[in-house]
Amino acid sequence: MKYLVMERRTGYAVLLDEAGCFWKAADLRYAVGQTVCDPVLLRDAPRGGLQLARRAGAALALAACLLLFAGFGYYRTYLRAYSFIYLSINPQVQMDLNRRGTVVRLTGTNEDGQALLQGYSGRGKDTVTVADELIDRAIEMGFLSEGGQVSFSIDTPDEALFQEYGTELRTQVNTHLEGRITVTIQITDFKQEPDAGSSAGAAPPASSAPPAPVTPQATPAPPPADGGSDYGDSGYGAAAPPAGSDYAAAAPQQGGGDSGYETQPVGGSDFEAPAGGSDFGDAGDADDDDADDDDD
Amino acid sequence: MQNTQELIRQVYAAKEDAQAADRFICAYLPFIRAETARFLCRPPVEGQDDELSIAMIAFYEAIRRYSRVQGAFLRYASLLIRSRLIDFCRRERRHAQALSLEQPLGGDGPALADTLADRQDLQEEVTHRTAAQREIEALCCQIRQFGAELSDVADNCPRQQRTLDACRRALQCAKEHPELLDALIRTKRLPLGQLAALSGVERKTLERHRKYMIALLLIQTNGYEIIRGHIKQVLRGGSAR
Repeated sequence: MKYLVMERRTGYAVLLDEAGCFWKAADLRYAVGQTVCDPVLLRDAPRGGLQLARRAGAALALAACLLLFAGFGYYRTYLRAYSFIYLSINPQVQMDLNRRGTVVRLTGTNEDGQALLQGYSGRGKDTVTVADELIDRAIEMGFLSEGGQVSFSIDTPDEALFQEYGTELRTQVNTHLEGRITVTIQITDFKQEPDAGSSAGAAPPASSAPPAPVTPQATPAPPPADGGSDYGDSGYGAAAPPAGSDYAAAAPQQGGGDSGYETQPVGGSDFEAPAGGSDFGDAGDADDDDADDDDD
Repeated sequence: MQNTQELIRQVYAAKEDAQAADRFICAYLPFIRAETARFLCRPPVEGQDDELSIAMIAFYEAIRRYSRVQGAFLRYASLLIRSRLIDFCRRERRHAQALSLEQPLGGDGPALADTLADRQDLQEEVTHRTAAQREIEALCCQIRQFGAELSDVADNCPRQQRTLDACRRALQCAKEHPELLDALIRTKRLPLGQLAALSGVERKTLERHRKYMIALLLIQTNGYEIIRGHIKQVLRGGSAR
């Protein structure tokens, strides 16, 4: 390709090629009217199309970032498990809850628990709804009968959530079962259970033994401080300590002894969430029982 | 700080106006020389070292490409000059094995060029170049009447083959309808509507490359035989590339 030198300026020359295009090129001592070959052409600045493509790319990258942040926020709020509730009747079920208190996953942690969850999906439902439906299924399948016990062990990093879930579960489940069946509802703080340290985040101990209904009226008085107790042998999963330990919190109380507000019979519940951030569990009781064990 | 702002203002003015660009390059010629000298490790000789021309066009390229987000202008220009000089040296290295026509043949003998038969008629070439210069000067004057310069025409020249083809179609149409060229000379305005209607090229395309179209149409008028002879490929209606 030959170029005709059309103009010389301070920093460059204007050339006309045989195709009719004008170019700016380095002025390598050219003369106007001279025909040259192989000039050093000025490299054009990015033109509109490229700039548009760059802008579109930047916009796409920004959109992708926003989508990523939104997706992460959605995952964090709705999909990621934040709290756990271990439901023990005898079937033991682990409920994974998101920050909104919606069930994201249900796991049967023993054989009965798996049987209870067979054909049931609680994903996306409210905690209380799932608890009510699981208790209904447990009654239908014969796992829970009159005088039985339902234990909820709540594992959440947020104390306020623990209070909220505890209050809600106790009142709603009581209301749900009112007039149908009398069971004992127990709410405990998973973290304050004696074996929580070793089994935190893991499923409660599995057991396939049939449920042992406990009637509040039939519950014996708590043993004296120096007396032995074998309430803990009931094998109630997360709420229940490993075999051999005395976990009195799992046992219904009557009369004096431990606070007993966690073992209210249905229909006559006078539970009120203790003020000042008190939890529903009975870590103190457990300590007492440990002391009992020591005495034993 | 004030100096930096003033420098940036001058750069942005030079982007828009060819005259301002010339003035700016003149003002910063010592800087361009210094950068070239730094690269060559010796002061460049004007009219002898191509590197100085390369550095000047690299400086001009820096003016065109610069934006505030790229930091200090002079640092950016320095980087660009160095890059272009490196590119030029690599390009020239490819010809390192070629013999120079100025090279003397054995000791103090005559130069190689003197021993070769001169197939070009120097007198004819000078005559041709002088005629071409006259044509180009006339064309430049005529283009200035339309408020443009050849530098603007170069900036306004389409680079895409499709657009070039469209402009060529419009040019062919103008050749077939001399009244359009007459109207251009008479009114000093590009008959965009007629050109678009007759050639079928979108008016927007012609508007976007108005200065380029004016230059091409002016070349079609009488008095520019040498330039027309140079771009005969386009005028014949062949491929633009």
